[in-house]
Amino acid sequence: MSTSHRDNGIEVEGLVREFKKGPRAVDGIDFAVAPGEIYGFLGPNGAGKSTTVLMLTTLLPPTAGTARVAGHDIVAGAAEVRASIGVALQDAALDPLLTGSEHMRLQTALQGVPKADRKRRGMELIERVGLADAADRKVGGYSGGMKRRLDLALALVHGPRLLFLDEPTTGLDPSSRSDLWDEVARLAREDGTTVFLTTQYLEEADVLADRVGIIDAGRIVAEGTPEALKAQIGRPALEIVPADIAQRDAAAEVLARFGEAAPAPPNAAAVRLTGGNDALAEVVRSLDAEGVRIADFQLHAPSLDDVFLAKTGKKLGGEDETGEHAAVAETPPAGPAGEREPVGSGSPR
Amino acid sequence: MRRFADVTGAVWWRSIHNFLTNPAFFLPSIIFPLFFFTAFAGGLSSVGDVPGFDFPAGYTAFQFCFVLLQASAFGGVFTGFGIASDFESGFARRMMLAAPNRLAILAGYLLVALTRAAIVITVLTVVALIAGMEVTGGPLDLFGMLLLAAILSLTATLFAAGVAFRTRTIQAGPAMQMPVFLVLFLAPVYVPVELLSGWVEAVAQVNPVTPLIEAARGLISGDAIDGLLAYGIGAGLLVVFAAWAVSGLRRAEAAGG
Repeated sequence: MSTSHRDNGIEVEGLVREFKKGPRAVDGIDFAVAPGEIYGFLGPNGAGKSTTVLMLTTLLPPTAGTARVAGHDIVAGAAEVRASIGVALQDAALDPLLTGSEHMRLQTALQGVPKADRKRRGMELIERVGLADAADRKVGGYSGGMKRRLDLALALVHGPRLLFLDEPTTGLDPSSRSDLWDEVARLAREDGTTVFLTTQYLEEADVLADRVGIIDAGRIVAEGTPEALKAQIGRPALEIVPADIAQRDAAAEVLARFGEAAPAPPNAAAVRLTGGNDALAEVVRSLDAEGVRIADFQLHAPSLDDVFLAKTGKKLGGEDETGEHAAVAETPPAGPAGEREPVGSGSPR
Repeated sequence: MRRFADVTGAVWWRSIHNFLTNPAFFLPSIIFPLFFFTAFAGGLSSVGDVPGFDFPAGYTAFQFCFVLLQASAFGGVFTGFGIASDFESGFARRMMLAAPNRLAILAGYLLVALTRAAIVITVLTVVALIAGMEVTGGPLDLFGMLLLAAILSLTATLFAAGVAFRTRTIQAGPAMQMPVFLVLFLAPVYVPVELLSGWVEAVAQVNPVTPLIEAARGLISGDAIDGLLAYGIGAGLLVVFAAWAVSGLRRAEAAGG
């Protein structure tokens, strides 16, 4: 990995965080985030996402390894790192007794915004995140979405070049989530802000991130653009629900001629099509020839869900793909076990 | 230095804003010292008539000094509660992420404790004067007495902050309050130390707060005091508990806030 000085990016080498009497929460990760990039950091609960954010934002010292954020070492130049970054952590840490505008006043003072600019800067950001009407209300009465938006505004008061967002949309309704996505995308596109975004939502990473890193059990198991990662999985999956459950095995036998079996709900059979979408017509003809009546079928293009399952052997919700829950999960079927790397095997880059 | 002052000022502003705008915080801080003062100086006023009790400014002033120092110390403890609460809620991380030097956060909380003490002392003094308290010490004596109150306020804040930084939960409240409560009430609260006897007298003799209380009483009445002992102990307490608080802050930093 390059160790060149990047004023607006992140460079991480061999970063480790070990807790006393516990496992390595982060186990020697390497990655780089380019200036102006939105980097999605994906992983299930307990994978090491938040611990990584805490280290990169200087809240938690690493046990080993190095990282440079905005050109500064996170240990030796911690104060400089803090001056360069904006952070919205997983739980929006707000004071329920302060109003939105009082929060802005507090944060502008904490960040050393010149006194003459504090009020203007605060109101500008409050308006930008759509909270002008609620600015004088105590935050204790805000909805989850309003709190997240205020937290984002607070992270921006000093015009940071680099923004860390730790699961910014967890618990938000779809509309609030979409609004936040728009704002994050705008920040990167118009202001050139580098965004490091952790999320459990694959869709979020797919929509927002220029590149994605997947962390599991403290190790990065995959990294690349969403498109490149999906291309690694490659082939679409076909899921067949026979009209008669007794014909499930017969359907699976037919499907096996067209590729490798893929996980499916108990009442269905699925295959990852070796011949891609072109094989679809032939599959239908074969099923018909074998007398298998079809109640429903779905063709799934590879998604980040598939990538995640293929790389970690788990659904992002934490279920093992071999588990009952995984078998009936609403997410599309993914690649066979043979395509997966063992958990914690390290980056495939 | 400007950034240090920015952070200190911001921490101070938020806590004092919440203190003054929320009756649930403000009223108990005022009412409890007034209650103690009324109960001690009023209800126990005949204690001043016991043989050997020789305090020229009277029993009201005698008790005022204790309540003054007690309120200052408890203000520090309550500030510690606020620190613990900020860590428990995650708000401390907001401050730690903004502060180039995190000692500025501690400095802000110390300023909070001093401000709270100043507010409570002002109200207490007005009430005491209305109640007929005699002050026979001069302006310099009174300044010295207020300095002792400030020292005790800062000491208690540093102690409570050290506990809060280490535990980072409001459940540690009793661990902050109980030692301060004990050390204050094992000092000569109701009568001079010379009139105590038995184990209470023995404990009071070695209690580091005793010289501070006695000095405050000497100052309000204009008597000669052992200033070297009182302020020396005060300075020593500040140094010891500053080290305790700063090492606690470092632990909190190492734990991720």
